[in-house]
Amino acid sequence: MKQKLEEIRASALDTIHAAADLAELEQLRVKFLGRKGVLTDVLRGLAQCPPEDRPAVGKVANEVKQAVADALDARKEAIAASQEAASAAAERLDLSLPGRRPLRGHKHPVMRVAEEISDIFVQLGFQIAAGPDVETEYYNFDSLNTPANHPARDLHDTFFVKPGVVLRTHTSPVQMRVMERTQPPVAVIVPGRVYRVDQDASHSPMFYQIEGLLVDKGISFADLKGLLRLFIQRYFGPTTKTRFRPHYFPFTEPSAEVDISCTVCSGKGCRVCKHSGWLEILGCGMVHPEVFRYANYDSETYTGLAFGLGVERIAMLTHAISSIHYLYENDLRFLEQF
Amino acid sequence: MRISLNWLRELVDIDPDVDTLAHELTMLGLEIEAIEHRGAGLSQVLVGQIKTIEPHPDADKLVVCTTDVGQDHPLQIVCGATNMRVGDKVPTAVDGSTIAGGFKISRRKMRGVESQGMMCAADELGLGSDHSGLLILPPEVPVGADALHLLGLDDTVLEIEITPNRGDWAGMIGVARELAALHQIPLRLPEFTLQEGTRPASELSSVTIEAPELCPRYAGRIITGITIGPSPLWLRQRLLAAGQRPINNVVDVTNLVLLETCHPLHAFDFNKLHENRIVVRTAKQNETLETLDGQTRKLTPDMLVIADARHPVALAGVMGGADSEVGENTTDIFLESAYFHPPSIRATARALGMNTEASQRFQRGADPEMAIWALDRAACLIQRVAGGSVAKGRLDEYPKPFAEKTLNLRYERTDLLLGTSVCPEAQRDILERLAFSVTHSDAKSCTVRIPSWRHDVGQEADLIEDIARVHGYGNIPASLPPIRQTDMIFAPKERPLRNLRNYLSNIGLTEIMCMTFSNPREIENAGLPEDSRQQVTLQNPLSENYSGMRISLVPGLLSTIATNLRRGTSDIALFEAGPVYIPLENQDLANEGYRCAIALSGAPGGKHWSAPARKVDFYDLKGYAEALFDWLGVPWALQSFESPAYHPRASARILLDGKPAGTMGETHPKVLRAFDIEQPVFVLELDVDPLLGESAPPALFTEPPTLPPSLRDLAVIVDKSIPAADLLETVRKAGGNLLSKVSIFDVYTGKQVPEDKKSVALSLVFQAIDRTLTDADTDKRCEKIIAQLRKAHGAELR
Ligand SMILES: [Zn+2]
Repeated sequence: MKQKLEEIRASALDTIHAAADLAELEQLRVKFLGRKGVLTDVLRGLAQCPPEDRPAVGKVANEVKQAVADALDARKEAIAASQEAASAAAERLDLSLPGRRPLRGHKHPVMRVAEEISDIFVQLGFQIAAGPDVETEYYNFDSLNTPANHPARDLHDTFFVKPGVVLRTHTSPVQMRVMERTQPPVAVIVPGRVYRVDQDASHSPMFYQIEGLLVDKGISFADLKGLLRLFIQRYFGPTTKTRFRPHYFPFTEPSAEVDISCTVCSGKGCRVCKHSGWLEILGCGMVHPEVFRYANYDSETYTGLAFGLGVERIAMLTHAISSIHYLYENDLRFLEQF
Repeated sequence: MRISLNWLRELVDIDPDVDTLAHELTMLGLEIEAIEHRGAGLSQVLVGQIKTIEPHPDADKLVVCTTDVGQDHPLQIVCGATNMRVGDKVPTAVDGSTIAGGFKISRRKMRGVESQGMMCAADELGLGSDHSGLLILPPEVPVGADALHLLGLDDTVLEIEITPNRGDWAGMIGVARELAALHQIPLRLPEFTLQEGTRPASELSSVTIEAPELCPRYAGRIITGITIGPSPLWLRQRLLAAGQRPINNVVDVTNLVLLETCHPLHAFDFNKLHENRIVVRTAKQNETLETLDGQTRKLTPDMLVIADARHPVALAGVMGGADSEVGENTTDIFLESAYFHPPSIRATARALGMNTEASQRFQRGADPEMAIWALDRAACLIQRVAGGSVAKGRLDEYPKPFAEKTLNLRYERTDLLLGTSVCPEAQRDILERLAFSVTHSDAKSCTVRIPSWRHDVGQEADLIEDIARVHGYGNIPASLPPIRQTDMIFAPKERPLRNLRNYLSNIGLTEIMCMTFSNPREIENAGLPEDSRQQVTLQNPLSENYSGMRISLVPGLLSTIATNLRRGTSDIALFEAGPVYIPLENQDLANEGYRCAIALSGAPGGKHWSAPARKVDFYDLKGYAEALFDWLGVPWALQSFESPAYHPRASARILLDGKPAGTMGETHPKVLRAFDIEQPVFVLELDVDPLLGESAPPALFTEPPTLPPSLRDLAVIVDKSIPAADLLETVRKAGGNLLSKVSIFDVYTGKQVPEDKKSVALSLVFQAIDRTLTDADTDKRCEKIIAQLRKAHGAELR
């Protein structure tokens, strides 16, 4: 009987191995393992064996049964794999065809750059503040130590709405609006649209500025230098050099303009930096005592620093944009590059 | 302001290296706009004197000259010019020289005759474009001298921008003074001795100031017997380097002194002044004056004029009059040196649209104490270049003498404000070098007298700035300030607005930023409601298109679409989120609320190989609206309405809390035509302002059902006009608590259904929380739904 079982095992494994497809394999399963299959037949004959042989024969029978089942599984796997391989070869996708993309929008580069700049200051503890675009002359000029007939007003080319009301020429009026609402300490950053009667190759009548104001006891010009240098290195990279040079703004004293080492030529001199190696990026200074007087701040107790920068210029430097006019034409071929 | 370094070097002993100097000036606050190397690349051009001119043996249009350049032998030069005569002095490029354009000059034969150099026209030295003949030099120049130096072609000119606070930098002396202070070296003012005649000026003329507030000082000198003519070369070169055109010797001297001292002067033809006297007064009503530029100016009584006994002869501090202009036949002049009230000059210059060298300087505040020095210096120079006799003494009306001001400086305050430790001696020293004189000094502070030209200095902080400048901004340390927090929130809407913009740009819309200007035509073209077209208007707009502020974002979106279509981009999905400006009655400020607008057109999904491109329709726009409100967490509704902005077939008001908060729809064809757009556009505009600032309440969790749902589809045929929302409402009511979800998965009109009907296919999901629904449960509920649809809408099962 054992021998019979071994013969069955041998012939089963051979035929299973030779089976060509799943249908044939199923037939073989029925033939060997089915209710009326060969092995079942043999096992039915187990009763005729001597009782002492039964455990041994039973064990062999189970082993054969397991071996046949394993062989069937293995062959089934092999046939399936080869069939899949065959069909895959026929159905192979052209992986180079474009996929179905979800729609992607783009943020306006001026807004994005403004947000990145604001965020650097927000992380340092500055609060966002805002004010109106249609502004009174009082906030835009007078309270910022720029009375009527002040020569600095000539620099601004102001749009007038009516006597005493203008489109703000800078974000600085928000300094006064903030200071009127609270006593020091004050640390605000003010992004917003500003306007000047100016339209040529390098000017847009509306542009975007960011203003910063920090007022507390003991704030010094050294703090102004440190704070802005930190900002510049975070935004433009740690190797960017900064240069503070004297300038004039009516609402700060001392005042400075800040240059960074040219982002195009790294300071060697190129067309963008007019061969100076430096690019002017912001104006700043220590809050003028007269401004504090308007704000009802005690300028003996408190000192403050303020700065303002044009976002367009920084966006243009960041993205190597050649003309300010691209920024407000809203040509999608332009906007989709960012 | 153009600074000639040759000139500057006469006033102060400066570093010869231009880049070093440019850096020093920059760090003192004088911004360098450009550096011009005059005559760059030119070499070896000498003053030659023509000795002979003979015809060329083989060429009609050439002559052969001998020209003495101060060497052993005169040069033989073949020349094509015709304007020269024997004896003329001309710039002569010798063998081995280089002229403009990098041309090298060497001996060569011209039509068989050797030419040993070249006599130059102006353009050949890079002096303008004049090629009409040789540049004839004035007779006084020495033969063999360096012509490039005489012509200022070895000079470097720094173009500097002057900040409005430092009027004194608009003069060479002012700039030189800064460098002298920086280097602790003396300033070398030009020295001169004026030779006066015997006749007192007071006998010849008089000055009356009728408006002392506007003219605190008026001084003058009279020079008689002068000869008007061209200025000597050195004077012309000075003016040319500064960017000014030489006119005649007298006018050129006044301009030179203006450039030198920053103090504007004016010369009148003395004999053209009625009664030979000066009256400084405001203009009379309807008075006019023909100014030097030939324009007749209408004067108003707030304008200060210089008049003679009868008429205005100059617009004070702005421009002289044509009638009293110094011309060829002038022999006697009245030389004016005055100080005018800056705001008055500014107002007059602005009112007449005149921005002159003089008005710029007076506006910023000239130096009342400099008036006399400048007057005498000019008189001396005029005598030198135009001859004549200077009458004895000055006319000098000074009704409002300059009040000297002093300021106190606390040394500690300097260090506190700057974050430095500059010792008291160094602080004082810097101020003294800048011509502040110390009147008092102790351990903690000093008192200084402010120089008469420093109108910008009014407080201690101004002194500290000067100390910082000369100490060097670069030498101030850098530190990080502590930033103390408070509980103030200044702009609660900014962050939510940014989140909104982020969201919209992440779901396929591209953000645009339009100019926030608008105009009535554009507003009308966009079909905005007539009762709300009030704009904030500008008194001085840049153009008609920008005549006021926008009241809606839609015109900007439509213009943007038109621009992009013109440029070949037709698949468009845009948004803008930003302020509009609604005027408020009787208020200065406008209501500047944030709005958000979306526009779709074409097939922004693009083409894909797997399916035909699909043009957007109203439902794409509605999808964005649904997504937006879902994201905002705000319940909303649509209400159809009629509007000139939208196509009647798709025009809706957006309601929040039952109140209108925006509009959306398909842009009206008339509007499209007005904006030159030739494809359908779908637009939404929402007043988001009230939705920013307060975040939606947090979502509360509900347990998802664990038992399987039971699904049914059904299709009903109803009248075309019945809104889908009504059907869904009926279904929801009839389905009760067992119906967990209903959606429309098909809407069909066409041959399969009667003409005015549509088939709507609904997908229903039934679910009970506490048990598995049997088929019987579901069927029963379905039948109820069908019955209700039939009853409410006449629906038939398909
Ligand atoms: Zn560069």
